[in-house]
Amino acid sequence: MPGNKNIKLYSKNLSFFYGNNQAVFDVSIEIPQHSIVAMIGPSGCGKTTFLRCFNRMHDLYPGNRYQGEIFFDNQNILSKNIDVTLLRSKIGMVFQKPTPFPMSISDNISYGLKLNGIKNKTEIKDRVESALRSSALWKEVKDRLKLPATGLSGGQQQRLVIARALAVEPQVMLFDEPTSALDPISTSKIEELAAELKKKVTIIIVTHNMQQAARISDYTAFMYMGKLIEYDETNVMFTNPQEKLSEDYITGRFG
Amino acid sequence: MERLRKRKIQNNIAIGFSLLASIIGLFWLVFILFDVLRHGLSFFDLNLFIEDPAPPGFEGGGMRNAFIGQFMITGCAIVIGIPFGILGGTFLSEYGRMTKIGRLISVISDIMISVPTIVVGTFIYSLMVKPLGHFSGWAGSVSLAMIMIPVTLRTTEDMMSLVPWSIREAAFALGAPYYKVIIQVVYRGAIAGILTGILLSIARIAGETAPLLFTSFNNSFISLNMEEPMASLTVTIFQYATGPYDDWHAMAWAASFVIILAILLLTVLGRLLVIFKYSSK
Repeated sequence: MPGNKNIKLYSKNLSFFYGNNQAVFDVSIEIPQHSIVAMIGPSGCGKTTFLRCFNRMHDLYPGNRYQGEIFFDNQNILSKNIDVTLLRSKIGMVFQKPTPFPMSISDNISYGLKLNGIKNKTEIKDRVESALRSSALWKEVKDRLKLPATGLSGGQQQRLVIARALAVEPQVMLFDEPTSALDPISTSKIEELAAELKKKVTIIIVTHNMQQAARISDYTAFMYMGKLIEYDETNVMFTNPQEKLSEDYITGRFG
Repeated sequence: MERLRKRKIQNNIAIGFSLLASIIGLFWLVFILFDVLRHGLSFFDLNLFIEDPAPPGFEGGGMRNAFIGQFMITGCAIVIGIPFGILGGTFLSEYGRMTKIGRLISVISDIMISVPTIVVGTFIYSLMVKPLGHFSGWAGSVSLAMIMIPVTLRTTEDMMSLVPWSIREAAFALGAPYYKVIIQVVYRGAIAGILTGILLSIARIAGETAPLLFTSFNNSFISLNMEEPMASLTVTIFQYATGPYDDWHAMAWAASFVIILAILLLTVLGRLLVIFKYSSK
């Protein structure tokens, strides 16, 4: 467990149910500020489900139920009187497949800004540029900001989506296998980006790729069958895991 | 080898039959179009649009009243029908997506699409014409709108469902409320398809006669009052084509030509929208 660092986000005995199916069991985890936490585990172990609890994405579908607590800046975000749209502007998310909106590159980014009530055109323009710069996309797209975002390559789309999420200045970013649909070069660009981003935001990343977790994360959590098996600093997890299950998974004996 | 040859023969027979069927189908279509074109063009002149009908037995005259009536009835039908169709489709694809009432509406709307239009006409007759005591342009518009609603509703729902859920989730994840997700993201993704659906549904009602017979009826004089019986192209064609005078027949041909041309343009425009959408990607 992380030592006495500044804890940005933590869950306490969190369980999650799809209808009657329990997908997450009693998970307690602390996410230190300005760090990257990787969630690893075999397919269907509940890591994506767990991740989607942090921005209440499950609220979109009927019949889902949370149990336990998640604290974000010392506020329980699972409580009923939380403004979910406000929460989601503070906790951004990037999905497995790139999700550009059917509009131009710059409109994709200004969308979130406008949602947050920014109307001043020069401010929007500046923030579009700085968001694109911080996701290392500016040089590639600066001459075609008005063209449809769907014309970009997969890797560029994913960086655009990251820029879009960054533009609203979230404090936490949730990455749900952000590179699983990308080629190695785009993947390394996004990994570099994540390393850069952690100066500003706290990152939780779900990944199937253990090398990726080892490369970019400060802490690694291993989940299995909806339970958190082990959580420690990444170099400890990958060199000296305490649990037999984690060791078996990390060394590739199953999963 | 034997089996392979047999398969080739079977294949050729199947191709032969489907070719034959499409030729038979197309033949009549081309025949009708050509006939309308031939007759229609020979009677087609400017008077058709700028003159009202001459009394029986007199030469000349046009169908200005029918053109204007058709425009007004169809226009009002569009204004009434499109919002219901789009909002209904939005409900089915979004808010009512997983509800029983949503599925029920969906099934009913499918049935409505295949209801004979004359039934819609008699329905509006008993609802609007009989109680008010007279035919009216409004009744015509409402009956056409009722034919439009299920068509636009269904296409809107289908086109919106084609926008992947991951796109909606991404918009939600930025902190967008649902109505903004729908208006700014889903509609934008589905707009070309929805517009196509609207154009096709307009083309569909532009050629309807049966529901108007019972509702807006006809009017030999020009009228801009939707409270009164109103002329429409289709009913006028019906009346002229079944009438006893040769020049009536001629005008019916010309009007048929105009209406087919209009529907053709709408349909082509709809197709172009689809092509435009897919080429812009």
